[in-house]
Amino acid sequence: MSVIATPARQSTGGISARTVNRIVIYSLLALFALFYLMPLFVMLVTSFKTMDEIQNGNMLALPRAPTFEPWLKAWGETCVGLTCAGIKGYFWNSIKMVVPAVLISTLLGALNGYVLTKWRFRGHTLVFGLMLFACFIPFQSVLLPMATILGSLGRFGVTLRNATGFSFGLGNPTVNLVFVHVVYGLGFTTLFFRNYYEAFPTELVRAAQVDGASFFQIFRRIMLPNSMPIFVVTVIYQFTNIWNDFLFASAYAGTGDAMPMTVALNNVVNTSTGVVEYNVNMAAAMIAALPTLLVYVVAGRYFVRGLMAGAVKG
Amino acid sequence: MAFLEIDGLRKQFGSVEILKGIDLDLEKGGFLVLVGPSGCGKSTLLNTIAGLETITEGEIRVDGRTINDLHPSKRDIAMVFQSYALYPNMTVAGNIAFGMEMRGVPAAERQKAIDKVAKVLQIGHLLQRKPSQLSGGQRQRVAMGRALVRDPKLFLFDEPLSNLDAKLRVDMRIEIKRLHATTGTTIVYVTHDQIEAMTLATKIAVMRDGEVQQFGTPAEIYNNPTNLFVADFMGSPAMNLIPATIGGNGNALSVVLQREAREPISLPLADAPTGLSAFHDRPIIFGVRPEALTDPEGAERNASNIATADCHIEVVEPAGSDTFAVTNLGGKAVVARLRADANIQPGTSTPLAFNLTKAVFFDPATENRIL
Repeated sequence: MSVIATPARQSTGGISARTVNRIVIYSLLALFALFYLMPLFVMLVTSFKTMDEIQNGNMLALPRAPTFEPWLKAWGETCVGLTCAGIKGYFWNSIKMVVPAVLISTLLGALNGYVLTKWRFRGHTLVFGLMLFACFIPFQSVLLPMATILGSLGRFGVTLRNATGFSFGLGNPTVNLVFVHVVYGLGFTTLFFRNYYEAFPTELVRAAQVDGASFFQIFRRIMLPNSMPIFVVTVIYQFTNIWNDFLFASAYAGTGDAMPMTVALNNVVNTSTGVVEYNVNMAAAMIAALPTLLVYVVAGRYFVRGLMAGAVKG
Repeated sequence: MAFLEIDGLRKQFGSVEILKGIDLDLEKGGFLVLVGPSGCGKSTLLNTIAGLETITEGEIRVDGRTINDLHPSKRDIAMVFQSYALYPNMTVAGNIAFGMEMRGVPAAERQKAIDKVAKVLQIGHLLQRKPSQLSGGQRQRVAMGRALVRDPKLFLFDEPLSNLDAKLRVDMRIEIKRLHATTGTTIVYVTHDQIEAMTLATKIAVMRDGEVQQFGTPAEIYNNPTNLFVADFMGSPAMNLIPATIGGNGNALSVVLQREAREPISLPLADAPTGLSAFHDRPIIFGVRPEALTDPEGAERNASNIATADCHIEVVEPAGSDTFAVTNLGGKAVVARLRADANIQPGTSTPLAFNLTKAVFFDPATENRIL
């Protein structure tokens, strides 16, 4: 038999080598997709089942009588530690912490990138190098020093409150978490924006200077409106990281009313009293994962290229 | 007192000196073109006038006011950038009005100014478009509109036509010239294109390596270049710069040009520059523009000093309006510009007329003009 198959032979032979390759590749891909989707599928179907069905049925079976009961219970009634008011309060805790942390770290990153590329000063490469270095610090190594700093800030807050009657948020666990996430997000956001602004036409900044725009006017009117792609990338990155963070959340707000979603979810699942309500746990986990999914879906639409088209010679 | 005065301007980046003491001045309503090869410092000089680069030493005055340390927006200038630098997030109208907006001009007044500029530049129908929806020529117009609307004391143009195609470039060049004639503004214009420099300028500064080589009117630069660099840089086709020697005797000097495989040509000089007698029997560079080297019938009739010599024609290039003939003198290819219908064949020997009143001489050692 000839090693080189002629085209005629392939067509008469029915299945060509190419088709076989395709089938193998797609089967493998389907297998991997199935493998990764399986936990999600189990979570989803379990969250719509009753406890009876979970205990007596197959884990992979579709719910016979789908019910929203576990979702409602997870949201409003389930016990987190000793309080049984659902995870809704902690969901809002996370939102209150994530939104400012993402916005502040992104805006500061944009400002850093703007200065490091368009208002260069002596030693700007060193500053950028140090900020880059922040991307490689293992978070575990800063837990204790940061706790000390937060403690000092808290004491300063008390002094402020005694003096002025207002603590300016110092010592508040949510504010503490926002502060921690802004500080440790800054390295990444600065890196993103600096690299984007490096390719940003400097002539636009110069034109705006001649037009009489100030430092911040240039930033707000020229730089930011033309940074949509990198802005979206940074927001997605920061939102995902901060929302999913467990280490800082449990270390600095692990107990009490300011506890974020991730810690609360852990407490729901790790409860040591009564029956383990798998359906409620799964629903709670789904709720905890939804905002990041939503950010991808919504922000991804604005993830468009070519916003800079027409700025310079075309 | 001139309108724009630049005195002893120096600019250093670390230990590198970019501008080595520039002195220029320009009358009100003048058109100064800074021309030179890449890296000669012409754009840096423009940026220092705009205030986008600081200066190390010297002084820049506009209308008697020193502007050295003023912010760009306080200098009463407008600038057109090479890449146009239109704000991509704003409409054409927004781009034009941005400067006024920053200065707090009321909206109604802004609109009036936009309409006026749009009429001058015929961009009224483009006002609501974004820069990405414009063609190259339209972007160029908008960029000029943004400068015009400010009604500044001084316009700065940084190679504004270099991104356009050849035909559009000629159109816009004429438009800029017309704009200058009708508005009477004072303009400083940077280009590396010597044709733009010649056609637009009232004054040209030819620059090299951070120094002004020559500063004068286009005619001065073209006819009386002060050194080899200026002679070579300005004019297209470039001036023929032929290695030669000075022969003859004290009162009647002549230029001796070597020819391949034939006896040298000797051209008698009727009124040679006085400095030339010192170069007797020594090598010089003989400079003659292509249009001063032509067929005897096409030679300028009232020129006082025309010498004719037989030259071996190597290549003939009919360009439509003219015919260029290439011969070899002093070991270099020399271009002669003949009438379009001149009867000339490559490979033959033809008499060419040298218009020696237009000829210039350079010292090969210093590269300076011999006067």
